[in-house]
Amino acid sequence: MFDAVAKNISYLLGGYWITVKLTMFALAGGISLGILVGLGRISRKKWVYYPVTFYVNLIRNIPLILVIFWFYFVMPIIVGSPMDPFPSAVISFIIFEATYFGEILRAGYQSVSKGQIDAGYSTGLTYIQTTRYILIPIALRRMLPSMITQSIVTYQDTCLAFVIGLPEFVRRTTIVDNLEVRSIQLFGFVAILFLITCYISSAVSRRFEVKRERGY
Amino acid sequence: MIEIRDVSKWYGHFQVLTKINEEVKQGQTVVVCGPSGSGKSTLLRCINGLEPFQKGEIIVDGVSVGDPSTNLYKLRTEIGMVFQRFELYPHMTALQNITLAPMKVRNKSKKEAEDKAMELLRRVGIPEKVHEYPANLSGGQQQRVAIARSLAMEPKIMMFDEPTSALDPEMIKEVLDVMVDLSKGGMTMIVVTHEMGFAREVADEIIFMDEGKIIERGTDISFFKNPKNPRTKDFLDKILL
Repeated sequence: MFDAVAKNISYLLGGYWITVKLTMFALAGGISLGILVGLGRISRKKWVYYPVTFYVNLIRNIPLILVIFWFYFVMPIIVGSPMDPFPSAVISFIIFEATYFGEILRAGYQSVSKGQIDAGYSTGLTYIQTTRYILIPIALRRMLPSMITQSIVTYQDTCLAFVIGLPEFVRRTTIVDNLEVRSIQLFGFVAILFLITCYISSAVSRRFEVKRERGY
Repeated sequence: MIEIRDVSKWYGHFQVLTKINEEVKQGQTVVVCGPSGSGKSTLLRCINGLEPFQKGEIIVDGVSVGDPSTNLYKLRTEIGMVFQRFELYPHMTALQNITLAPMKVRNKSKKEAEDKAMELLRRVGIPEKVHEYPANLSGGQQQRVAIARSLAMEPKIMMFDEPTSALDPEMIKEVLDVMVDLSKGGMTMIVVTHEMGFAREVADEIIFMDEGKIIERGTDISFFKNPKNPRTKDFLDKILL
């Protein structure tokens, strides 16, 4: 049933490992840069707000595959030397995902009522205390489901890095398929692995959604 | 306790407060009424420094609010504030809502803060709700927790910004009762409200604001019986039916 998979399992799982690594780097970088983007989007300083907003609107209106493509082919012209597919893919994903995570953070921040912040101040809490004990906990609870969803999307989207020749999970499966010609079982295996991992993640996400309905 | 002298405030070109003068002595309760947009809430928010004002002076317990060197955080520990929409912290239980500031600002121990919180919850009549989250409380209960939260800092002054406007009629009384008790207990209070029954019972002075100005003031009898300004008369007719 899974003979072609079994025969090439270490090669395929090696590809899956690259997918996982790419996801981890993309999320770590995307969320870190996303925090800065989110702060930029709520900044009252015009010279911060407008450039960041321009960046967010630009990237969010370009398909991810083009961002990956452009970065890979344009960077060597700017830097002067070609870049490996993996770091190139990581940077493209960070640039792309940061805009989405930034918007989630902005929305979470703006969902906290100004009145709750004022209530904190009116009891004598300082700016830092209000941020630490009221703003961040409330915003985080509201953002968490969207953050998890976006993380799952990022994980699935890493497949797109095949366009610049990165030998990740799907790319390696294609290579094996060209030799074995067992498309249904090979891509079935890919689908099952994604299905299981994504399902587990979204189950975690749903638990947070339920909590939120309780009034968090 | 509170002196407000010639305070004016603008949002851009729009003047929201015009030469406000008012004095609240220790233990007094002053009721502020007037149509929406007349600057009542803004005046309260200027008193505890949540909003700046451009002209005049506000002195609270000897401290100038407008002075840039004033530590507003410290000042606010002495001025409790209750909001129209309660503004409880949704991620904390009633108990945690009440103990947060005493523990973080006054550095009280958890035990000390919780004992005080329980005492306050008994005082506002809902000790059994101590471990409930705000989402599981009625509006009236939430507002009473909010009052307890302010009182936990043992403020010298309490300000109420339309504390019953967001409540169902049957819950208004339970909140007003708590406020009447406070006032009779000698708390210095400024209350923005249209509950004229409350004003009659406890107000030492009632002021009527319109378009950012105080256009009428009086002790209860004179205020209700013969308002001098036609705007006041018009307004009182509307709210008293």
